[in-house]
Amino acid sequence: MLEIRDLDAAYGDIRVLSGVTLSVGAGEIVALLGPNGAGKTTLLNSIAGLLRPRAGAVRFEGEDLGALHAHLIVERGLALVPEGRRLFGGMSVEENLELGAFAPRARATKAAGFERVYALFPDLYQRRRQLVRSLSGGQQQMVAVGRALMSNPKLLMLDEPSLGIAPRLVRSIMASLAAINRAGVAVFLVEQNVPAALGLAHRAYVLESGRIAGQGAAADLLRDPHIRRAYLGPLAVRE
Amino acid sequence: MNILAQQLVLGLLIGGLYGLAAAGLSLVFGVLKVLNVAHGELIMLGGYAAFWTVALLGLDPFVSLLLVVPLSLLLGVGLYWGLFGFVVRADEETRIKNSLLIGFGLGLALHALAVLLWTADERSIVTPYGGSIRLAGLSVPIVRLASLLIALALIGGLHLLLARWRWGKAIRATAEDWQAALLTGIDVRRAYLLAFAIGTGLAGAAGTLVSIGYSTSPSIGLEWTLKALIVVVLAGLGSMLGTFVGGLVLGVAEAASAAAFGGPYREVVGLVLFVVVLVVRPRGLFGR
Amino acid sequence: MTHPAGGGERRWALAILGALALLALLPVAVPREDVINFVFLILLSITLAQSWNIVAGYAGQVNLGHAAFFGLGALVARTLWIGGSPIALALAAGPATATLFALLIGAAAFRLRGAYFAIGTLALGEILRTTVGNVLAEISTLPTETIAAYRLTHRYYLALALAALSVVAVAVLAGSRLGLGMQAIREDEEAAEASGVGALRLKLIALALSTGLAGLAGGVFAFYHISYYPAHAFSPHWTFDALLMTFIGGVGTLHGPVLGAVLYVVLKEYVALRWVDFHLLIFGALFIAIVLLLPGGLVQAAERARRLLAG
Repeated sequence: MLEIRDLDAAYGDIRVLSGVTLSVGAGEIVALLGPNGAGKTTLLNSIAGLLRPRAGAVRFEGEDLGALHAHLIVERGLALVPEGRRLFGGMSVEENLELGAFAPRARATKAAGFERVYALFPDLYQRRRQLVRSLSGGQQQMVAVGRALMSNPKLLMLDEPSLGIAPRLVRSIMASLAAINRAGVAVFLVEQNVPAALGLAHRAYVLESGRIAGQGAAADLLRDPHIRRAYLGPLAVRE
Repeated sequence: MNILAQQLVLGLLIGGLYGLAAAGLSLVFGVLKVLNVAHGELIMLGGYAAFWTVALLGLDPFVSLLLVVPLSLLLGVGLYWGLFGFVVRADEETRIKNSLLIGFGLGLALHALAVLLWTADERSIVTPYGGSIRLAGLSVPIVRLASLLIALALIGGLHLLLARWRWGKAIRATAEDWQAALLTGIDVRRAYLLAFAIGTGLAGAAGTLVSIGYSTSPSIGLEWTLKALIVVVLAGLGSMLGTFVGGLVLGVAEAASAAAFGGPYREVVGLVLFVVVLVVRPRGLFGR
Repeated sequence: MTHPAGGGERRWALAILGALALLALLPVAVPREDVINFVFLILLSITLAQSWNIVAGYAGQVNLGHAAFFGLGALVARTLWIGGSPIALALAAGPATATLFALLIGAAAFRLRGAYFAIGTLALGEILRTTVGNVLAEISTLPTETIAAYRLTHRYYLALALAALSVVAVAVLAGSRLGLGMQAIREDEEAAEASGVGALRLKLIALALSTGLAGLAGGVFAFYHISYYPAHAFSPHWTFDALLMTFIGGVGTLHGPVLGAVLYVVLKEYVALRWVDFHLLIFGALFIAIVLLLPGGLVQAAERARRLLAG
């Protein structure tokens, strides 16, 4: 579904990604792991169209996304929940969700979209008129995921959804992602919380210093000694 | 006492126009992060458009709004496509600096163009009706009162537009976080275009009301740009209604200072307030 | 857009000074008042542009209140001179007042960045203009004996010396450590601060130099005109002229403002139709084009042309 081949990305003169190749199949949950500064956010931003890659290709369902503006990529069925949520704080939950259905592909199914999001996150229904600014971190994360879901995506990408969220809520969010996936949406998840990510994903890649340093089935990676040392040691685990 | 109250009322009446003038500038600055210091010249052009519409077509001055506002919207589209659309390609800091400079050049060019086309003379639209009504013992000129009410209606309409219209919400979202807006599927360039066009439309409306109640000439540009800037800084960004109130505040403050220190110092109080608020509280009185 | 004052700039400085030296012969070679007046205007414009260039081009801030300092210099010089002071004292007091005022408001003003500094200084300039216009509403005319003793050539040489001074000042500044520090601020203020460059101090020095020159120019203006309205010297058009000349010539360079000033005054003289400032229409459009397409102004255009022809 999503194919990335030999992707190079840079900010000005600083090369961030080199020759990244990975793929996400329909119906899969794929995780991208790696330390801070490895380039994970840059990768997601490149796919979502916020950053033009220097070289390589990003193909979604066979179509090259390289030249498309970000909002058109949403129209193709690819939605990103950005790092830090990036919600519209001055607007209500309902308005944020509604804006999620802005793209033409989602406008017709807006009502169904609302139902889906409120079913997944009943808390949000009660707070739908509340200003997003006044919500807790966990609730904001729910709105962020919900907003992306409203665009009726085929592939949902998330950048560090567990960041700054209480552990109990992290489990809840992962469960929601599993439910979303069961409903037919592929998930590409960037996470520093390795146990949570590998507990959810089918497959995973490891990104280090802008390069793919490893990949495999989630279960295999959990047992991999390098991964265990680097990411599952006492300092890396946030549980 | 009555004289002071009278002056304050007149200040309130022009304050409504200050608010309308500032609303357009505030919208454009808030959404595009572009500081169009030629906004006053756009107001001036609106005034002339109204003047010539009335002179050539014989329309009622207030009805000319129905022609001038659409024309101004079109002008806004043209200015965005031809000029400011390029400015928004840069990052925010460069945008503000470039738009300031470009607005400056645009203002000069439009001013010179206006003098070339219509001479430097002042023009005023004379309404077939006039006079004042008595409210609470004060004399309120009808034409200026009507202008205030129209300005209020336009601001109210703008508020509704931003709150209820699909693209109005998109504009607000873009103002908060344009990258998040893109990720939500909003064509941010279209949002920019709409915001700029609406801002120019508001300027045209303000110009029309100015030339009806007061007068227009090529030189009013700088003066009105400053008024709009003062109100934007006083009221802060983000609320159209707050901006309108800021305009009223400026109008009343000017009237009060004229009453206290004499007519010539009317301008100074606004400018001093401006500098003080800039240095002390850049977010303004209402802004977030 | 850093312009290290290397050989290129120094050569330009010498060339300009040479041209100015030649212009010293003008009143002798062409003893026509209209020509001398015209070149006087060019010389004054050069000083005005260079003075503005110091803060904009070297310290990176757009000062839209520049006219205030020009006006203060004119006001103080005129008042002292008409009051009986020797002209030298009057001409020294002008810039001194302007610089003092600049330093007084400078620390507060520089708390504002970018566009806010620009509109803040614009407002400040307008405050001064309005106040002076109200307090000193009558026209200022020289007493008859002074008019009788008026020598245009004295004004001309004064303007010439001032233009030369402004060019030398910018040349020295550009090559000095101060100048390099200022340019570092212009490129990236935070990075410069982090590497130990005291941004506020340098900006204040730039402002002092800039307003001092502007005040001197104002003094010469006051010395030159037989009668004028005091508020006129505070008119924002002096600022706008300086901005236009500097940007179109090439902000942040030594010779850019000089080029811009010459072009501007020449165009104004030959294109102004009756009451229309037609040159402003052209310059306004040119200015927009330069900001968008060619931020380095004509200087940059000339360099590109030279490289194109050479390579």
